[in-house]
Amino acid sequence: MVEERAVRDESDEALVQRAQRDDERAFGELVHRYESKVYSLALKMLRNPEDAEDVLQDTFLRAYRGIKSFQGNSTFSTWIYRITANSALMRLRKRQLPTVSIDDADEREVPINIADWAPGPVEQMLSQETQTAMAEAIESLPVEFRQVFVLRDLEELSNAEVAEILDLSVAAVKSRLHRARLKIRNRLATHFAEQPKPRRAMGAQP
Amino acid sequence: MMTCKEVLESLSEFVDEDLKADVVQAMHQHIGVCSECRAEFDTLTMTIKLYRHYETPQMPAPCHDRLVKVLELEKMKKKAGQSSSGSEG
Ligand SMILES: [Zn+2]
Repeated sequence: MVEERAVRDESDEALVQRAQRDDERAFGELVHRYESKVYSLALKMLRNPEDAEDVLQDTFLRAYRGIKSFQGNSTFSTWIYRITANSALMRLRKRQLPTVSIDDADEREVPINIADWAPGPVEQMLSQETQTAMAEAIESLPVEFRQVFVLRDLEELSNAEVAEILDLSVAAVKSRLHRARLKIRNRLATHFAEQPKPRRAMGAQP
Repeated sequence: MMTCKEVLESLSEFVDEDLKADVVQAMHQHIGVCSECRAEFDTLTMTIKLYRHYETPQMPAPCHDRLVKVLELEKMKKKAGQSSSGSEG
């Protein structure tokens, strides 16, 4: 074993093993590899930079303290995401009012006038107002939905990865994702119904 | 022919291309003739496009520096031994 070998070239697994033998540089490299991912995930879940930084610190402190008990049954990235998701969840639960049981939350809020806002390029739909409506829609998601939504749709992890991180079945991940998407879509439908119609084409009459 | 209910229940998986080929074909068939399900599909697809379009801010550099300090502190605590009770507030 060449201890002086550059940590940059090591796999996550090798770094974990070295960190478990109190190699501080190896743990430092893991921090370097994952800190912005952890921060980004926390920010997307919490939508508040101070809270995201708290989760970032909390996550790596827990990882540092717990690295020796990390068995390697999952990858390091799954493990660190799991710590992040749990830490963010605790913070969200503290912040949010109790929500209805997520199993009862499946009422299909059929929006009026859902048609007629989807055609056209994304750029045309983007506006400060839409961004605000989107942020509010995401914030209104029950925390269990939001976790799945952020990991699956914003971080673009696979159903299987999300299931492993959150300790859910793949079916539960799919179901929560579907419901989260519909909730956001329905909020947006309301938003677009209240907006003047976007101008369609360059040639449109003023 | 799939019913609207069946189509709507499978819409997310359809968007994610996570369905068997025969179901995909049945979905396409239904959406081709049912304007309501078509609108559901279009708006769901657009919703996903819209939120994926927004960039999340990068981690600010001071966050990294503070994280390093927090971990340094933890390392020192560990080295000092578990018996010490150096609380940093
Ligand atoms: Zn239909």
